[in-house]
Amino acid sequence: MNALLKLSRQIDALTERIGKAALWLVLVVVLISAGNAVMRYTINYSSNAFLEIQWNIFGMIFLSCAGYTLMRNEHVRIDLISGRFSKRGQTWIDIFGIVFFLMPIAIAITVLSWPIFIHALQSNEMSNSAGGLIVWPSRLMIPAGFFMLILQALSELIKRVGFLKGLCPDPTDKRNALTPEEELALAIKKQKGGA
Amino acid sequence: MTEFLIANMAPIIFASMIIFLLVGFPVAFALAANGVVFGLIGIQLGLLGPQLFQALPDRIYGVMANETLLAVPFFTFMGLILERSGMAEDLLDTIGQLFGPIRGGLAYAVIFVGALLAATTGVVAASVISMGLISLPIMLRYGYDKRLAAGVIAASGTLAQIIPPSLVLIVMADQLGKSVGDMYAGAFVPGLVLTSLYVVYIVLVSIFKPKWVPALPLEARNLRGARLLLKVLTTLVPPLFLIFLVLGTIFLGIATPTEGGAMGATGALIMAVARKRMNWKLLKQAMDSTAKLTTFVVFILIGARVFSLTFYGVDGHLWVEHLLVNLPGGQLGFLIVVNLLVFFLAFFLDFFELAFIVVPLLGPVAEKLGIDLIWFGVLLGVNMQTSFMHPPFGFALFFLRSVAPASVKSSDIYWGAVPFVFIQILMICLVIAFPQMVTFGLDKGNGVDANSVTIEIPDYEYDNSEPQSGTEEPTEPQGPTR
Repeated sequence: MNALLKLSRQIDALTERIGKAALWLVLVVVLISAGNAVMRYTINYSSNAFLEIQWNIFGMIFLSCAGYTLMRNEHVRIDLISGRFSKRGQTWIDIFGIVFFLMPIAIAITVLSWPIFIHALQSNEMSNSAGGLIVWPSRLMIPAGFFMLILQALSELIKRVGFLKGLCPDPTDKRNALTPEEELALAIKKQKGGA
Repeated sequence: MTEFLIANMAPIIFASMIIFLLVGFPVAFALAANGVVFGLIGIQLGLLGPQLFQALPDRIYGVMANETLLAVPFFTFMGLILERSGMAEDLLDTIGQLFGPIRGGLAYAVIFVGALLAATTGVVAASVISMGLISLPIMLRYGYDKRLAAGVIAASGTLAQIIPPSLVLIVMADQLGKSVGDMYAGAFVPGLVLTSLYVVYIVLVSIFKPKWVPALPLEARNLRGARLLLKVLTTLVPPLFLIFLVLGTIFLGIATPTEGGAMGATGALIMAVARKRMNWKLLKQAMDSTAKLTTFVVFILIGARVFSLTFYGVDGHLWVEHLLVNLPGGQLGFLIVVNLLVFFLAFFLDFFELAFIVVPLLGPVAEKLGIDLIWFGVLLGVNMQTSFMHPPFGFALFFLRSVAPASVKSSDIYWGAVPFVFIQILMICLVIAFPQMVTFGLDKGNGVDANSVTIEIPDYEYDNSEPQSGTEEPTEPQGPTR
């Protein structure tokens, strides 16, 4: 079990690193997209490559953050019923969900999307629009993203079993983090106090 | 047994979806799992071809290549940055001083600022928190009724949900297969009408219960005359600039809604830097929240599309259609039932779930009944907006609670919201009764603003991006609705 928990920590660290890196893509895609609009309007220049980069980055954001969001426990749930269960009960639900819902789907999608990527890579497939991008990188994102999701799901599974056995803290416990709303409230209060 | 299964596959899948969701595991995966389980059963029973799941990667690819959804992170990011730029605080201070001297003035200021903020961003939390921290204490100090003060703040905050550029409208347009620009144009007038209804309510209160909404005494105002006027004008510049940057460019056809969102986000960044409110920590936080929100939203959509693969495969959409088309009362009967349904579902589903699971099932039926889908979308938008303020789960109430002083009890907040929930219901009825409110901006070829231009540009963009996805299956957002 200890070896597994160690593995889980390593996966978490990897997911954290990928997630934190992918955050910057948000800023990048905002600037690219704003740039596209400005360029088209001012110098009447528009490039399919740049239009495609936008949604390529969009895909990269949500696929590379899938595991990260899972780790932070931010995928929305309906806790109408489970909210009344004990912490252990909720942990059992998560174990059930990871094993029977999440894992099979993520594995199926990874396996099914891999050959599509290989095909795009081997045939050097280009996008249909003039001046568009080469296709395989975007085809690679799906299996890669879902593979990361499988890894993170494994880590979450280990942590939950560990929690039930009393070997590690509650993995869904929000670590010392303030929500953005709380941060905003603090900022406004500070400003009012200082003024 | 097998025959029973085959004959009732669609209702069984639907019922089990509800059970899967209620288990309490993240919605995205529960939905997808439901689709896969019944897909396998369907293949076993010979209802579905064995090729069913081959379409899965393409469905996800279609979600990726969807330029409309890209607007979701843009407007989220914009809202998060904007809430830190100090714009809301400035507006509330100055507009409060401007309206303060009249009875109910602070409440009008809250509504006005709420609408103004709503027209720049699609995020509820920011307005509610700023108003709860800045206006609520002032209102309480000068003797406003607690419930009224709380209610008007919560309700004005939710205007962001219906006044463009709202996230609800983007997702709604995507799911109904309409252009976001049209949805924005259609929601504009209803958004203004709703704002006026709030104002009318405050007018009525100030006539019948003047003690609830006293005017500010003179000493509460540190600016007067020309200086106040100047301050008001300068404070209005940033929001008006942002409104032009986002809505102006979209309505004039200069930018797609996605690009409008990107420009708005850039504008918000510039403003935050100019006001020296920007730092790395804040930027990272905004990106972090944006990335996580985008991820969970897109994953619900992915889950919904895996589900629909099976559900539509067994003609589930026809089953839903049969149920709803034959409702008594035709169009009106359908609209009433649907609105009641959504109203009650909204007690425990949030709007992303509603939009991705329920709306695609309702859209085709509405279309078949001859209902304009933009009208339908705006109607559901107003309906879902209500879910942000109805007790006890409304997000706006929750945010307000987190910043309201302890002297305001939770029950004050709940009761304060109730009159506004009734105003919402009235508004839903008005939209049903007067579809022109929505469609009028769309039908007119010319004349009013440049609304008609909006219709062309997003479509052009879609045409442009569609072939790029390189999939056989049409990958437009509305895939499941066909």
